[in-house]
Amino acid sequence: MECVVQGIIETQHVEALEILLQGLCGIHKERLRIHELCLKSVPNLGVVTSEVRLLCDLEQLEPTWTVRHVGGAMRGAGAEQISVLVRTMVESKVSKNAIRLFYALGYKLDYELLRVGFAFHFRRGAQITVTVSSINKMLKLHATDEAVPVTPGIQLVEVTAPASSENYTEVVAAVSSFCEYLAPLLHLSKPGISTGVVPTAAAAAASLMSDGGGTAL
Amino acid sequence: MEAAPGAPGDQSQPPNKAVERLNPAVQQELNLDSIKTRVVSLQKAIERILQEIDANTRTNSVPKWQDILSQYSMVNLELFNIVEDVTKVSKAFVVYPKNVNAENAAILPVMLSSKLLPEMEMDDIVKKEQVLQGMEHLPVSAQIEKLKMRIDMIGAACESAEKVIADTRKTYFGTRQGPTILPTLDKVQTAKIQEQEILLRNAVNHGEGLRISTDQRQIVSALPLHLVDILTVGDGAQALPESSGIYMKNTPLSSNNISNQGNMLQASGAQAIGRAVASPSGSTVTTSFDNTTSPLPYANSPRSGTNMMNTPSPQQQSQQQQQQQQQQHQHPHQHQQQRQKMMQLPQLQQQLLAQQQFRQSSLPGSGQNQLGQLHDLQGSAQQKFQSLHGQHQMQFSQPLGTQQFQGRQLPTGPVQHGIGQSQINQGTQLNRHLSQFSSPANSALFNAAQGTPNTQMISNMSATMASQSLLPRMQFGLSGGNRPHASQILSDQMFNIGAANSGGMMPIQQQQQQQQQQQLTSQGAFGNMPHNAQNLQPGMVAHQNAQLPNFQQRQSNQQ
Repeated sequence: MECVVQGIIETQHVEALEILLQGLCGIHKERLRIHELCLKSVPNLGVVTSEVRLLCDLEQLEPTWTVRHVGGAMRGAGAEQISVLVRTMVESKVSKNAIRLFYALGYKLDYELLRVGFAFHFRRGAQITVTVSSINKMLKLHATDEAVPVTPGIQLVEVTAPASSENYTEVVAAVSSFCEYLAPLLHLSKPGISTGVVPTAAAAAASLMSDGGGTAL
Repeated sequence: MEAAPGAPGDQSQPPNKAVERLNPAVQQELNLDSIKTRVVSLQKAIERILQEIDANTRTNSVPKWQDILSQYSMVNLELFNIVEDVTKVSKAFVVYPKNVNAENAAILPVMLSSKLLPEMEMDDIVKKEQVLQGMEHLPVSAQIEKLKMRIDMIGAACESAEKVIADTRKTYFGTRQGPTILPTLDKVQTAKIQEQEILLRNAVNHGEGLRISTDQRQIVSALPLHLVDILTVGDGAQALPESSGIYMKNTPLSSNNISNQGNMLQASGAQAIGRAVASPSGSTVTTSFDNTTSPLPYANSPRSGTNMMNTPSPQQQSQQQQQQQQQQHQHPHQHQQQRQKMMQLPQLQQQLLAQQQFRQSSLPGSGQNQLGQLHDLQGSAQQKFQSLHGQHQMQFSQPLGTQQFQGRQLPTGPVQHGIGQSQINQGTQLNRHLSQFSSPANSALFNAAQGTPNTQMISNMSATMASQSLLPRMQFGLSGGNRPHASQILSDQMFNIGAANSGGMMPIQQQQQQQQQQQLTSQGAFGNMPHNAQNLQPGMVAHQNAQLPNFQQRQSNQQ
């Protein structure tokens, strides 16, 4: 299971967000460049089509592959009250042959995208990962070098934390409280809900970008 | 010069003779009394400290430096403050010693003189000249006026500068601290951003806007590094079709579907030979082309030669391999033999050839009779013909007659051998290969000759045909034998092998897959399993090796 929220931020404020996150997390960012292939099973393979995502981390010297299955979100009155989406998720590292395996099993490529940005992994009540990335699409199949952003001026911010059914309430609380810190710059919400940008984000960004008056007098 | 307590004292008590008194303001500022008290207390503090240090030295004890230092710092600070206060008003006073003695006799005149030192005098003159440059001729009052104006201007400039500094400081601190009035986004902007946001979120979460049409998927530029060794060029076609699942002639086919083989194998029921109807087997037009990786490299694959001998399943790797190979003809083994038809682009023959060879080499002992490949294009004498099984040969003749060739070049003699038939079941079923031969006239038929003669037969043998697909495809009917299988529909499919070879492939594969699946379920025979496995593998192999996008396997059932 994982808890996830998403938000958007204008590209011009990404640097400020990076500074903010660096201050909050206490660590340096990690670059992110992930080629995400979304595979979907053909209808005759099962009652419902299942979807599987293969993530190839291109930032490493040797591209590493991960397979990810995202399940349904938690439902119910309780789920509606919390501001974080809790959903089942299974993830595993795989060899590079995974894509062939899935093709052999009958999965087809549904779509692919390329995430370019950075991420912070830290522990703050829960193991939280914040990724800020520009989502790029490829006009030609698998042409990761020629990817163009889907929305040039806006990047996606995702805050995720793995959880289990026993501790998800704490994880939700940790993620929510962390998101409060990001309030000056962006709104975060469940993936299906759109939030818009923060109107005063420019001011917050400006203050973050300034040298903070720490210069020697 | 020490600000000796006496000095102010002298001044503060003007001698009776002089009527001068200190300016009351100065006097107030000076605040002699307080200074006096302060100085006195300072003195006492210093004495205390000295005593303490003295005691320490006497007792030879380690002094508590912390305390001493703190006391010293206090004293220091107090002295500094006193001096500061005095210096404020020191301009009003001249300090001079009371008595003249040898010590200060020399310096006293300088101290008391009001005349500037020579250097200072020079500086003074220079500066004066600078200031009064243009005004020397004017009367003094005018000079004074002008100077005043200058001073005023400078004063004004300073003031404005200070104002600017203050303002920037305000804004600077304002942004950091308080709510400042910043321009908020207007509605238009908000709407635009909203739009973009929805776009982005949908793209990430649901992939909207990211799907490439199947046509476009054909255009594959060089694969990125991380995919190069995993996928072959043609793999991109393994995509869910955007349109319905009808066979699309243009659907890109990247590779053979192993599944096709499976389907073919499993196709039960007799399919009318030569049915020309392409019946899309389902929504999935794009069958799993991805499956087509050649099993050849895997030594342990059931498709390897020995295994094939053992496995009764008609779906044999050879089929799969054959898929990739354009011109391979295999004689089906008696038992289930699946023929996979490979639709191949001419330019991919070489790959096929390589695969073929590979395959053939890897299946030396298999019961399959694999015909050598005919690669006219390649001009290589790589035609190999494996000895046909007697039975097979017999069978060959039969299907040949019934084969449909549509606009194809019939294979040459040897090639005909390759039009293998796969026998399924105890000799009742023949698979017919229908092969298309492209103009280069190289076609390869792959019959997956598999299994031992007496092993299980899968009712539907799919004939694999490798054909160049410049010509419209043909279908071949699978003689389903015992099972009328939907998979037989596969054989009925017409594939357009043209530029969009892959397109044709896809549906076929799809169907084959389905058929295969159906067969599996229906049969439930154990023997089917390996078939499928085998089927898969060849496809895999083919996939790997061939960069041919068009490999199709067809099942041909002979009735």
